[in-house]
Amino acid sequence: MINQLRAELLKIRSTRTTIGLLLGLVALALLFTILTSTLSPETQLLTAQDQLSLLSFGSIAGVFAALAGIMLFTSEYRFGTIRPTFLFNPSRNRLMVTKLVAGALSGLVFGVIGEGLVFSIGVTFLKIRGISFVMTGANVTQLLVGAVVGTALWGVIGVAIGAIFSNQVGAVISLLAWGFVVENLVFGFLPKIGRFLPVHAADAMMGRIEPRLLAGDVGSVVVVAWCAALAGVGVALLTRRDVN
Amino acid sequence: MGYTHHVLDREGVNMTYVVQSDSLSKRYGDVLAVDDLSFNIEAGTITGFLGPNGAGKSTTLRMLLGLARPTSGHATIFGQPYDHLETPALRVGAVLEATDFHPGRSGQDHLRMLSRAVGLPDARVDEVLSIVELEGAAKRRVKGYSLGMRQRLGLAAALLGNPDLLVLDEPANGLDPEGVRWLRDFLRDFASGGRTVLISSHVLAEVAQTVDRVLIINHGKLVTESTLDGLTARVSGVVRVRSPEIDRLDEALVREGFVTTRSNDHALVVQGATRERVGDVAFSSGVPLHELVTEGSSLEEIFLELTSGSAS
Repeated sequence: MINQLRAELLKIRSTRTTIGLLLGLVALALLFTILTSTLSPETQLLTAQDQLSLLSFGSIAGVFAALAGIMLFTSEYRFGTIRPTFLFNPSRNRLMVTKLVAGALSGLVFGVIGEGLVFSIGVTFLKIRGISFVMTGANVTQLLVGAVVGTALWGVIGVAIGAIFSNQVGAVISLLAWGFVVENLVFGFLPKIGRFLPVHAADAMMGRIEPRLLAGDVGSVVVVAWCAALAGVGVALLTRRDVN
Repeated sequence: MGYTHHVLDREGVNMTYVVQSDSLSKRYGDVLAVDDLSFNIEAGTITGFLGPNGAGKSTTLRMLLGLARPTSGHATIFGQPYDHLETPALRVGAVLEATDFHPGRSGQDHLRMLSRAVGLPDARVDEVLSIVELEGAAKRRVKGYSLGMRQRLGLAAALLGNPDLLVLDEPANGLDPEGVRWLRDFLRDFASGGRTVLISSHVLAEVAQTVDRVLIINHGKLVTESTLDGLTARVSGVVRVRSPEIDRLDEALVREGFVTTRSNDHALVVQGATRERVGDVAFSSGVPLHELVTEGSSLEEIFLELTSGSAS
């Protein structure tokens, strides 16, 4: 298992895809945080709630972690490396677990970089503008831990989606359509249901950015349940699917 | 686990079959890609697994290697289904496609990600790169590799675990003549130590100089299982003969039961004969010969004959 995990981590490191995703995350995090913290009127940055909204943008790392997770399977199907991978790892259950762990670890890195950048730049700009930082220590801890752990869990969800779809385009489009369209529509019209969906449950892990979200601990449980459910479907399909 | 008889013991005891296919079938919708296919492969042999494109070769190999599930029947390698073997990559090396690489990854990293998965040291990667003569390209990304280099990189991956059985699906595809010769020499060398090779091809000529035995399939069914010598013995062909006394020779051959025809250039074409037999008949009839050659029916034509039409 440790050997297989080393192999999976090498797969992540040995192509430029991951670097590309990381650069994309850094660019987006810098752009959003610098623009928002410099251009927002001071009146919109004064309360703990305002500051939480600004500094929780690091959760965008979840999208990149999920994309990296998706690639762990779909890239193997796309380029045919799934054949040697299965020949060297014939237990598909074990391979799934290994990739889920690898997805979580890479997600952790995305989370630390994404939230780390947003938080440090955001707080710096608040200081430069002379705005007092009013979030409590507990709120900051929940924000940072929630963002990083939530992003790691998005890495897991990405791996599961990749196993379910196997087709890269289908998996990526489904993820983006779900995350940016479907969930927002459901949450907008039916927030009592929408808050149990993965993006909003993961947002809840960082604190009450939005009053209709779940409590942080409930949000964590819900995201973990999504991970387990999607991984279960993924492994069921993976073990039944022939490789041509 | 009822398949453990005929197991190849690693110490060489009770050596019988390395690969066993028992009534293997695979159905995709209405198409029966592999139809009740049974065969055995003995240790220390190089077996050519032959058939035209679409005959079911690749599907069979995928079932042997646990990549596709049989609709019925079962396949074993070293007495067990592939995925029941303890770290199968250390006993079986396989190359199924020449293109199974991420183009942006270096050849060395491709091999390392596989070797690490089974706990082999990185030094083994350097060894196999040297065996397939790719040391110089190890750090280059695979997208810069020629097809021949990709074939060799695939082979390097198969060799990582120092396996006792190599399974290669159409390994000569896209290789230049020098590459084909390199592969032939390599496989001969590999098998000379008692190891086993199963190599598929849709062109008999590609493997005829390499293999000891042939399994020929068509429409998913076994058509012929034979040694290469056995197949060669079937090459009867046509003998073309010229003589100043062609009519006498013709009569003598017909008396011996041969079917003859005259060609446009006044030669006699004798069906189903060997040169030796026609020469003997001419000698005993006192007919001088000016030409005596075998024509037609080559090994390749026998193969085409066996694999054309239905395999009923």
